[in-house]
Amino acid sequence: MITKFSHVSLFVLDQDKAYDFYVNKLGFKVHTDAKMENGFRWLTITPPEQPDLEISLLTPLAGGMGYDEQTKEAFRVLLEKGVLGAGVMHTPDCLATYEELKAKGVTFKSEPKEQFYGIEALITDGVGNWFSMTQPK
Amino acid sequence: MPIAADVYQKIVRAKIYIDENFQQPLNLSRLAREACISRYHFHRLFSRIYRMTPHQYLTQKRIEQARLWLTGEDHTIIEICNHIGFESIGSFSTLFKKEIGYAPRDYRQLAHTKRQQPRSFIPHCFIENYGLDIPGAKSNIQEVSPQ
Repeated sequence: MITKFSHVSLFVLDQDKAYDFYVNKLGFKVHTDAKMENGFRWLTITPPEQPDLEISLLTPLAGGMGYDEQTKEAFRVLLEKGVLGAGVMHTPDCLATYEELKAKGVTFKSEPKEQFYGIEALITDGVGNWFSMTQPK
Repeated sequence: MPIAADVYQKIVRAKIYIDENFQQPLNLSRLAREACISRYHFHRLFSRIYRMTPHQYLTQKRIEQARLWLTGEDHTIIEICNHIGFESIGSFSTLFKKEIGYAPRDYRQLAHTKRQQPRSFIPHCFIENYGLDIPGAKSNIQEVSPQ
């Protein structure tokens, strides 16, 4: 029986920018930030209320990743296009969070709208991914 | 009753003020002034929107910053205590242990140990399948072909 996720990967163009977005702007917590001598950086974060879910922010283009050049190029194209949809985040108050993130310079693909399941806005992380930010009903 | 957009902006302004100034002495009056509303309404609205009181949020920010600094070696524990706005090392240590589960000194030691042993916190499936070049993490998994 599988019970839950403990780790998931999120590919990003730049780990420093991803850190700024997820930690400084969204308020995620750093679980592990370890830099290896060869340049590889193991950076994992957890959502504020999910301390046991580690999201690994990986840069497929960075040193220490074992992808061949063709794979790296494919990742780079997709991440630069920002077409990778990465999931749904919950917020207790979509409008307040929208105002806060907008003030912090976060880019929105769409403003908060009423949906049948709640209030939803779409945000981009600026390093290749977009998310739904939803206040469930 | 829904909260008006301009009120949201006032509360958000105060929350961002906490984010940017949590290392300074802050109290409810200062935060309410930043939001341009009364202390009573600020406390009520902040708690309603963020599901925690302004004081709880401020404490959370300070403890989180302490946790980050403790994983590095740039500051002593006393410096961290002072930098994040605690007046006594005793109250800082007690609160840190309550929130994080370890005393500051033990948390720092744990972080140091983890850094020395990357394989203790990076799942091997990541090392293997992403081809990560991690010190001391040579492959020991054989490719299994489907039957």
